[in-house]
Amino acid sequence: MESRRKRSRSQRLKWGCYILLLVACTVLQTMPGLFQFGAAKPLWLLPLCLAVSAAEGEFAGAVFGAVCGLMWDYTAGRTVGMLALELMILCFGVSVVVQLYLKDTPSNFVLLAVVCALLVLSADWLFFYYMPGYAGAGERFLWVVLPSALMTAPGSWLLHCAVRRISTEFKIDNGVV
Amino acid sequence: MKDFFDTWKFKILIAIAVFLVGIMAYAGANGRLTAAPQELLSVAVAPFQRAAAAVSSGVASLWENYANIDAILEENQQLSEENASLRSQMVDYDKLKAENEAYKALANIQEQHPEMSYTSSFVIGRDPLDSFWGFTLDRGTLDGVAVNDAVISDEGYLLGVVREADLTSCKVMTVLHPSFNAAGVVSRTRDNGIITGSADYAADGLCILSNLARSTLSREGDQVITTGLGGVFPPDVLVGVIKELTPEASGKSTLAVIQPGADPRTVRHVFIITNY
Repeated sequence: MESRRKRSRSQRLKWGCYILLLVACTVLQTMPGLFQFGAAKPLWLLPLCLAVSAAEGEFAGAVFGAVCGLMWDYTAGRTVGMLALELMILCFGVSVVVQLYLKDTPSNFVLLAVVCALLVLSADWLFFYYMPGYAGAGERFLWVVLPSALMTAPGSWLLHCAVRRISTEFKIDNGVV
Repeated sequence: MKDFFDTWKFKILIAIAVFLVGIMAYAGANGRLTAAPQELLSVAVAPFQRAAAAVSSGVASLWENYANIDAILEENQQLSEENASLRSQMVDYDKLKAENEAYKALANIQEQHPEMSYTSSFVIGRDPLDSFWGFTLDRGTLDGVAVNDAVISDEGYLLGVVREADLTSCKVMTVLHPSFNAAGVVSRTRDNGIITGSADYAADGLCILSNLARSTLSREGDQVITTGLGGVFPPDVLVGVIKELTPEASGKSTLAVIQPGADPRTVRHVFIITNY
């Protein structure tokens, strides 16, 4: 059983690691030309907040999702709060699904992350490309939205492993066997 | 899980959601994209993005080469002889070198437009959600950058306009974006039109000059420049050359497809015109 002080320190370190991952994912997601096929690029912030919500529960996950979303709103030049709200709801939902219905395995998580990426990218495509009436909406969905969602899979697996590792490393030992 | 909805944690989440909707509405109503929390995030993240962008040139080149291996091999064969003679002259293209080269180009631009003030800037971010190749630069309001400043390439070609300026970074809307609008003119014939982006051509890195007269004498290869009308863009900034001319859907005017002189999709270093 750990002392209260030690537990608090361990929690601070854990969330410090998550914040560092958040910065790293932001940089990876916006780095010009990295992992880019045509206009398609993988998402990094979304799988990170989903992995954290799967590991840390619905409340902490949803709050972290909102922070990741604010960061993404900034980098994507979207109206502040829009992606934050989307990610907060998604993180809450994913955490509930993982707790009640799905085992938290890497393959299940990758599947969830790709589905969520498809949802977020499709919503963005719908509101910012299809509804304004831009030409070539179908092609864009086929050649940008779908590949971007699929390209998110490898990063999701990596982030799931990293978050699992951090979560296990700083797990609170409450003495219960 | 049922119990969760009765807890204070759930109420906090609802409060956060209401707060996010509130700032979204506030930002929307004020025509802004960012709010104070994000400006703080941007200040924290910009140095990391800047460092990453510095190494990304090499990584991106490697990745692009891998993705286009056939074309690269063919090109490599053609260039191998030339490379042999140039190998002895090759040097590392680090940031200072790149900036030095850029400033040499700037000297040429300044000869043509001595009245303008420029700020050198590197592209530090491109988000996958941006459909029209917008990017983030490493200069912000602290460097004198403001919304609606024109952004040009090292060679002086128009790339876009600053649409959001934070403290240490700014976001650029490119000439490929359909919301981009600048008064333009075909330099040879002096035919006026509107330089804007089009979803039909953005994927190929092309923009358009719309509202040209049906009887225009412009032809392929003519240079397009800005007129300065409207006061947002300085006059006589190069945009690109006409690639093709097509009648607009209404049939009343002609649309010129422009090949921009600099490609906003791949540009890594730019100049921001902060004063003219």
